[in-house]
Amino acid sequence: MANVELGEDTTTRIESPATADLLVAIAAPVNVEQLRATASDTIRAMSPRSTNEVDPSISGLRAAVAFPADVAPPTHGSDGAVVLDPAGSGVEIRFIPLAESGVSAIPWLGTPATYEAIFQAARGLGVKACAVVASDLASFRPDLLQTLLAPVLEKGADLAMPVYPAGKLDGLLNASILSPVARALYGKKIRYPLALDFGISARLLQEIQPARRAAAQGSSLFWPVTEAVLRNRTICQTGLEVKHPVGDALDASTVLTQTVGPLFAEMESNASFWQRVRGSQTVEMVKALPAAATTNAASVDIRPMLETFQLGSRNLQEMWGLVLPPVTLLELKRLTRMPAEQFRMPDELWVRIIYDFALAYRLRTLSRSHLLGALTPLYLGWVASHVMEVSKMRDKEAEQRVERLARAYEDGKPYLLSRWRWPDRFNP
Amino acid sequence: MKRSASAADPLWYKDAIIYELHVRAFMDANNDGIGDFQGLIQKLDYLQDLGVTCIWLLPFFPSPLKDDGYDIADYQNVHPNYGTIEDFQEFLEQAHSRGLQVMIELVINHTSDQHPWFQRARFAPKGSPERDFYVWSDTDQKYKDARIIFTDTEKSNWTWDAEAQAYYWHRFFSHQPDLNYDNPLVIEEIVKVMRFWLDMGVDGLRIDAIPYLVERDGTSCENLPETHAVIKRVRAEIDRDYFGRMLLAEANQWPADVRPYFGQGDECQMAFHFPLMPRIYMALRQEDRLPIVDIMAQTPAIPETCQWGLFLRNHDELTLEMVTDDERDYMYLAYSADPRMRINIGIRRRLAPLVDNNRRRIELLNSLLFSFPGTPILYYGDEIGMGDNIYLGDRNGVRTPMQWNGDRNAGFSRAVPAKLYSPVVMDPVWGYEAVNVEAQQSDASSLLSWMRNMIALRKLFQVFGRGTLTFLNPSNRKVLAYIRESENERVLCAANLSRFAQPVELDLKAFAGMIPVEMLGYVEFPRIGKQYYPLTIGPYGFLWLELQPSQRPVDAADVAQVAQIAAEGPGDWRSLLDGAGRREMEESALREFLPRQRWFGGKSRQISLTVIEDWAVFNQGSSALVLVEVGYATGDPETYLLPLGLVFGPTAGEIREKHPEAVLAQASSADDDGVVYDALYESAAGTALLDWIVGSQEIASIHGSIRGAPSKVLGKLLGDSFPAPRLSSAEQSNSSLLFAGKVLLKIFRRQQPGPNPDVEIGSYLTGQANFPYVAPYGGALEYRREGQSTSTLGMVQGFITNEGDGWRWTLEELDRFYESVAPVNISEDGMPEERPRLMRLSEAEEKPFVQDHVGPYLQDAALLGQRTAELHLALAANRTDPAFAPEPLSAGDVDRLRESLTEHANGAFTLLKESLSRLPDATVDLAGLVLSRRRLVFDRFHQLVGEIHTSRMRIHGDYHLGQVLRAKGDFVILDFEGEPARPLEERRSKQPALKDVAGMLRSFSYAAFSALIQYSTRRPEEFEKLEPWARLWEQAVSAAFLRAYRLTAAASAIAPQEPAEFERLLEAYVLDKALYELVYELNNRPNWVRIPLSGILMLAL
Repeated sequence: MANVELGEDTTTRIESPATADLLVAIAAPVNVEQLRATASDTIRAMSPRSTNEVDPSISGLRAAVAFPADVAPPTHGSDGAVVLDPAGSGVEIRFIPLAESGVSAIPWLGTPATYEAIFQAARGLGVKACAVVASDLASFRPDLLQTLLAPVLEKGADLAMPVYPAGKLDGLLNASILSPVARALYGKKIRYPLALDFGISARLLQEIQPARRAAAQGSSLFWPVTEAVLRNRTICQTGLEVKHPVGDALDASTVLTQTVGPLFAEMESNASFWQRVRGSQTVEMVKALPAAATTNAASVDIRPMLETFQLGSRNLQEMWGLVLPPVTLLELKRLTRMPAEQFRMPDELWVRIIYDFALAYRLRTLSRSHLLGALTPLYLGWVASHVMEVSKMRDKEAEQRVERLARAYEDGKPYLLSRWRWPDRFNP
Repeated sequence: MKRSASAADPLWYKDAIIYELHVRAFMDANNDGIGDFQGLIQKLDYLQDLGVTCIWLLPFFPSPLKDDGYDIADYQNVHPNYGTIEDFQEFLEQAHSRGLQVMIELVINHTSDQHPWFQRARFAPKGSPERDFYVWSDTDQKYKDARIIFTDTEKSNWTWDAEAQAYYWHRFFSHQPDLNYDNPLVIEEIVKVMRFWLDMGVDGLRIDAIPYLVERDGTSCENLPETHAVIKRVRAEIDRDYFGRMLLAEANQWPADVRPYFGQGDECQMAFHFPLMPRIYMALRQEDRLPIVDIMAQTPAIPETCQWGLFLRNHDELTLEMVTDDERDYMYLAYSADPRMRINIGIRRRLAPLVDNNRRRIELLNSLLFSFPGTPILYYGDEIGMGDNIYLGDRNGVRTPMQWNGDRNAGFSRAVPAKLYSPVVMDPVWGYEAVNVEAQQSDASSLLSWMRNMIALRKLFQVFGRGTLTFLNPSNRKVLAYIRESENERVLCAANLSRFAQPVELDLKAFAGMIPVEMLGYVEFPRIGKQYYPLTIGPYGFLWLELQPSQRPVDAADVAQVAQIAAEGPGDWRSLLDGAGRREMEESALREFLPRQRWFGGKSRQISLTVIEDWAVFNQGSSALVLVEVGYATGDPETYLLPLGLVFGPTAGEIREKHPEAVLAQASSADDDGVVYDALYESAAGTALLDWIVGSQEIASIHGSIRGAPSKVLGKLLGDSFPAPRLSSAEQSNSSLLFAGKVLLKIFRRQQPGPNPDVEIGSYLTGQANFPYVAPYGGALEYRREGQSTSTLGMVQGFITNEGDGWRWTLEELDRFYESVAPVNISEDGMPEERPRLMRLSEAEEKPFVQDHVGPYLQDAALLGQRTAELHLALAANRTDPAFAPEPLSAGDVDRLRESLTEHANGAFTLLKESLSRLPDATVDLAGLVLSRRRLVFDRFHQLVGEIHTSRMRIHGDYHLGQVLRAKGDFVILDFEGEPARPLEERRSKQPALKDVAGMLRSFSYAAFSALIQYSTRRPEEFEKLEPWARLWEQAVSAAFLRAYRLTAAASAIAPQEPAEFERLLEAYVLDKALYELVYELNNRPNWVRIPLSGILMLAL
């Protein structure tokens, strides 16, 4: 715990060793040694004794670090925590290893049980705010922590979600499904609803129990934005200048299954809420990002994607036929006959496909894993179409293109509602 | 170990869908022919999929089973037929893990005579605590006032016990002795029983036969205060030690008598609403909503935490205890043709057989069940439309095995059929091969699929379980319509109880501006207005409509994306309207904004450009009046007036949040963000506009000036002060600000150079003619610009307290008229004339027969005729102002009039000919007749030749009943603006006053037949009979109006003095108006075409 130059009133508050002002938490498995080093540097830098320029909103606050760990570092603190005083700086850091809570199928995302343990720890410490940071620790820096926490500590936000610098071909699963579906459902324009980093207020983390909710929903992911929206809590976005390269560790199908599935799963339990939401509202952008460099789209080879789409349309007709209405199937058939260079998936078609898959997920029209597997070729078809469309666009234009898609999801919401409310197979 | 509640919300039962089942009848896992808990566990997925949220188990305790388990021999165990206590626990856990709550029976009024407590009591000494577990007497004359409930089997509530040498008390079967709640030990034991099950995790307890717990001599032994004391004690025990549990009272009583079982929220949380059920069936059979509305009116309010339990059918008979003798006889005749269907005081049948297996009836009844205030309770098997077996004894016919599939024993059991506790239903219509779960699961159109969808839909709307209920009162009683409302949700439900399609007009004025969205398919219906909202509902159809605010919430950021305009700060109108921002305003903001406005007349045209023509700043720089010219791809441009506001900082945020629809553009300055918006949404601008007029201020615009011109009476109208204005939601082509109770400021959105006729006539009538029957003119805001005529931007009028407009008021009068004459046959001499001549009618004296029936409206029509003539006289009195001075109607004017009328008629007949095939059958003959008289119509117009001795003068121009207000027993005439879509020149032209007279005569005709159509929707057979009455009314009222008009106008030139000329001109105008109506109805309401057709035919051709 960074315990430095505290005023009298603050000293009084820390008489109990198990208190802190901030909790910085990592939700996915992390390299403990790297964490120790990074945390030491960062929290020392946050000390008022530091020569670094740190925002007053977090400077001098006592911080603890929670992380999921199979092997805890040597313990010499009370309550199972590790208290270090790196380099005899007088700045103590409390490391809190979290109880075993499983590993997510997406290694860089935490399980709901891990989030539950983090929030429990935060509640136990009595923190004012908690920052969850990605396990690559790229955002475990004073300036970035400040970006996540200042909106909570100073502006009264309950949830600060990051907006990452992204090129026009980055984060396409998020841009094509996760973000626009969440926006259409819950009415908040959040760019990264499943972000690896976010700041959360003491008030909000008091109210949510990710593991219990995920179990009730049959979801394997924790959706902070949904939790905040359901409780009518204040959400803001903040530009976080960091990139978390996830590499090619997982294939598209796995990532899609493991993220879109939980998104669909929580739709069912929140149906009575999102069916009342109309339109969407922009949330406050606390700190803007500088413009991103233009990505070279020519380097993306779309041929394998189109081949997967074509292969899917030949082999998965039977499954698609159970999920999609005839007019959609007909449009897909037309797409398969298009020359590659003219291949474009219209927004309205893509939106209806996603909404129909969401409904099929709810109705268990077919096994859920098979269902999401059958979505993968369609998704790759969308990616191919999108890459071709934005390849000659500037980043700003590409962003507007993504915005148009998000609006198409909102415009198509009545279709989802009518299908959801009266799921008749006899559709146009 | 005490288990916690399975539901997180302590009021879970308010949103629940309860499914009632008997373990014995549901599923047999061990193939002994009797259903059991292991079988039930196998079927939990089915219940979860169906969407129910709570399972209500009928008694499953050890019992001799002489009353289907309600004769309990051991309260703390499971009947061996159904499994073990461990099986029950497993079931409970499995149900909870699926999010299902569980309610069991707590039969505490009585036990089986085999219960150890009773056997012990028989042998215990008189007066001992053991003996006193039950109610004993040496005589069977005690409690004589208590009725016998099972009249078919029991002759007395007392039965002699030879061992005890005493009578024991039983309200039900003689093998079910009543427990004695005057003995504290009994209460203690019952509380122990209750704790036994609650500790296990049971969520709800249904308390059987709750009114009969305590007996007192000289009473009916029902609903006694001592009984309530027992319930309160039980409830207190639960509240002290358990969370989220529920007690459901079974009290087959009138709602007012059931109400005490809720206590002050300290007795039962739920109680069945017994009397509603038979009345739903009665309403359905009688095709009349009255029985339902009537019983709901008798239903008292209950505490916030309490809830009614609603059901269509259950394991008992359809009880008819809570109906009158006549109603019971009707129900027996309607629903139990075979005497075997009757038992006790009720009918032992399932839902589907009761309604003759009609799918639409089943759906309709379920729609009522799911949308009425309370928690719906489904009886097992009714979700697939299972039938019954009336040849089985007692109520066993509705307790047959669940029909799972078409296999042996309906898939219920693999035992040999003879071993089944009850035969499965096997006939060709209801048998398990025709009706079963498996078949319906694979059929997307099955009743089961429908039920599943409806349950899921109901669960989306908490308002059904928790909202208030308000019945609407449409005149068509075959339609039951009601509003369910909670803080955030409003749902309109309308159900057609008839086997034929029904029209209905609903009074939804309270929801004007909202958009009904059909809930099943999320289909938007037309916006609700101030008029009655018409719906047509198919046979046994129902509509659930969610009432949504009309505006989809606008994200202010979206507005920002449409137009971002730089300004230096508040008041920087120059940057916005003339500087750098002008281009953005003209090319983006205005072009986006205008088509969204209700008052904008060019919605169907393609805008080619918008140009800011002129503007003036007011309201201390915060607002500006802006004139915008809108050019179109084709046709002439138009000019519109926009009062705009420009604000920054928190005020801008408020505008964005409260009135996003008012925002034109996002403004930004170096310091802050702001918005450009329609200033009428904020009261300060409206107040400033009125001040502008009151103070006669003149403010320079860029190219001209705008001057306030108050009338002499404005000060009087306003008094010392005036309230802040409110923008009227009823705006159409203009916008109106209401200064409550004082004045109305009308902003004329579409601008045309030249005097506005509303101002021109209003000003003249108030200021010069002192005509008292108009809204007093208070002043105007005038725009002057060199080289063009002064135009009017806005006008102030005095506020008129009124009883509604003449149209609505007349329709109400007519409704009463038809109600009173419906039983009367019109006499031969009272028959209206087939082809009345209006003049002759007005010259004849009113017959007493007519006076008797039409009544006071004749005097009102005469008063309106007088006021109309007085208006015309006042308008004609101005001989100095060229705009008003009457001019003689020349022969040339008559020629032009004839040509114009002939041209209109030509168009109307062509359209009628083309539309013949689309007309309703009943109208085709009439249309053919009118077409055959085509020549006669033209002849009538051709008679308009030569000079007619009357004047051309300023008239109202669009005169009908909707243009007059009924106020303080008199009439006030409104709206001299004419049709805003027509050019100003045409609206200001001089015409014969008889055009107004003809307009009002046609309005009477329309009212008579509109009201008749409305009246006969609920009594279709009466249309023919009442049509002569409608014509009689129209002729009598028209004659009274005309008589008074002529009398008042006598000796003036506002109408021809020569009767033949008067008649010729008037009838030509009436015919023209009827032809105009014909065109309108052909294009818009083919079912109403008969009104103008009858009008044309009635004119003496």
